[in-house]
Amino acid sequence: MRGAAWRVAWGQLALVTALAAFALAYLVDARTVSLSVNNLLLLQPTAILVLFLWGVIAIGCVSRAPAGEASPAPADWRATLRVVGMVAAFGFFILSLERVGYDIAMVLFVSAALWIGGERRPLVLVLFSLIFTAAAIFGFRALVPYPFPTTLI
Amino acid sequence: MVDLAAAGSAVALLAGSLDAWLWVVPGLLIGLVFGAMPGISVSMAMALVLPATLYMEFLPAIIFLTSVYTGAGFGGSVPAVLMNIPGTSSAVATTFDGYPMARAGKHNEALGLALVSSCLGVLGSYIVLFFLVQPIAELVLRIGPFEMAAIAIWGMVLLGSLGGKSLSRGLFAAGIGVLLGTVGMNTAGYLRGTANIPELLDGIPTIPAMVGLLAASQLFGLVNTHFLVEAEEDRQISLSRIVAGGMMTFKHPRTLVRGSMIGALVGAAPGVGSSISNLLSYAEARRASKDRDSFGKGNPEGVIASESANSSSEGGSMATMLALGIPGGGATAILLAAFAMHNVVGGPRFMDQNRDIVYAIILSNFAQAVLLLFVGTAFVYCASSIVRLPLRFLIPCVLVMATMGSFAMEGSIAGPMTLFVFSVLGWLMSSAGYPVAAVVVGLLLGRLIETELLRAWQLAGGDIGEVLNHPWALVIIALMVLSLGFSMWQDSRRRRVEDITAG
Repeated sequence: MRGAAWRVAWGQLALVTALAAFALAYLVDARTVSLSVNNLLLLQPTAILVLFLWGVIAIGCVSRAPAGEASPAPADWRATLRVVGMVAAFGFFILSLERVGYDIAMVLFVSAALWIGGERRPLVLVLFSLIFTAAAIFGFRALVPYPFPTTLI
Repeated sequence: MVDLAAAGSAVALLAGSLDAWLWVVPGLLIGLVFGAMPGISVSMAMALVLPATLYMEFLPAIIFLTSVYTGAGFGGSVPAVLMNIPGTSSAVATTFDGYPMARAGKHNEALGLALVSSCLGVLGSYIVLFFLVQPIAELVLRIGPFEMAAIAIWGMVLLGSLGGKSLSRGLFAAGIGVLLGTVGMNTAGYLRGTANIPELLDGIPTIPAMVGLLAASQLFGLVNTHFLVEAEEDRQISLSRIVAGGMMTFKHPRTLVRGSMIGALVGAAPGVGSSISNLLSYAEARRASKDRDSFGKGNPEGVIASESANSSSEGGSMATMLALGIPGGGATAILLAAFAMHNVVGGPRFMDQNRDIVYAIILSNFAQAVLLLFVGTAFVYCASSIVRLPLRFLIPCVLVMATMGSFAMEGSIAGPMTLFVFSVLGWLMSSAGYPVAAVVVGLLLGRLIETELLRAWQLAGGDIGEVLNHPWALVIIALMVLSLGFSMWQDSRRRRVEDITAG
């Protein structure tokens, strides 16, 4: 095919390679522990299958497109940014739970998530996150037998 | 098979005990509410009400607890349909088609379907139990590692089918799931893949990982959406549509009966019953359907298959508990604890000497299944109002509830951390077009398959031919091969007909 260009789906390739790397690292770790059948009975064949499928999927990530064909339109960067913002906010929330207390972490996360979702009314941002946090903390404290650290409530 | 004199005494016992009936509706409601809360499992709901049964008579106490069990069994399906959150592993397959139905504005119908399938599943399994309590219990005793490995392999076959059009991606995702499911110490004492994290010694916490993969990852994808159901006219909450959805169940009697049978039989197997039965039933419904491609996109049969199987597992696990005194899971363990609180020891002797009470428990569950239909309809009517809530409010609330539920499951920060890691993994994989459900199923079955294969391998002393001495395992494998062969034959026949029509 003259004039055709190679196109690589880099994001897809990176993800499948990272997952296959996990499978390989896990297999190496398990083989380091023991080479006994009792250790590798299911794990080794599954890891080998995953590595084989990595090859199949990786080849599929590379395709030839006719010259002049437009690349796929990039996704709306604002929309992507909002999703990444929500993932990051959730990550900070989880990491801060034990550090600042479940109550403060919850208030901060709920207001941040509301803001990312498009809520701009300050009163709603503050009141909703405070009321929801109080309800969640008291509710779960009554239900869950384990203590969880809080700072204010 | 049925001791008529004992059955008559059971009817008299129930007719003469107002207390036994008073606790049914509150029990169902408590079960529904707790079951619908992400992270609160059936056994946790039962454990919370267990102390309240201390001052009740034995029969009302057990009926109250089984009402909570029945209610919570269905309650878990409500978030599975509306938010893609399987409250327990037994509601995983409900998310496959229930959630796409809800997103398409068919939340009323999906909930109606789930409710009626659940009620009929419970009813069916207790009818089976009423007639066959003893034979089922004897059958359970014959299920060894070979048979369990065969059942698990049957589940493995399902993994490929979750891949949709890309088989390689489906198998890759399933393989990753199986590997993740084997992290930690296996039954032979080998410790792998923990990266020196002590919380991973017992493996990856399944429920937080499952909620992260299925629900949290979906919620990230909804950040740019305003409502769960985009079209305003589809956001209605309609009793008539819930009822119409429920009536749709009767259009698929085969799926319903097959799901109930799978649920009652597999549910009787201690430990894994309900979590595997809904997946097996779903796989079988998909295999037997003429419209296989619509599964995973909102096919009502998918909801019926899953719900009839997970609810009928209750009857199966009750058979094991009543006849053998073996708790199949957390819920039946709590029932046994309630037995102990009233100085009653469950098991074969209890079954022999108190057959009237056993029948009374079974008969009251018939009534519970019927009452669940009404209480459940009112409950889903209220619960479905969630589709009217703007997602900017719903997303943080659900993420916080899922986090607290994960904490409740593990009792430490390990739960929320697992939730986060798997929600990111699920989001990345679903964005790249991988079937996240296959990872979830692999994660659920990985440990089970390894454990049973290992036991079978050790019992056989490494001799694969030993499987020939286990006819039930061979029957299960033969059935699986036959059903697969039949569906492949149907596929090729359909393709030939399509080619002739097109040509």
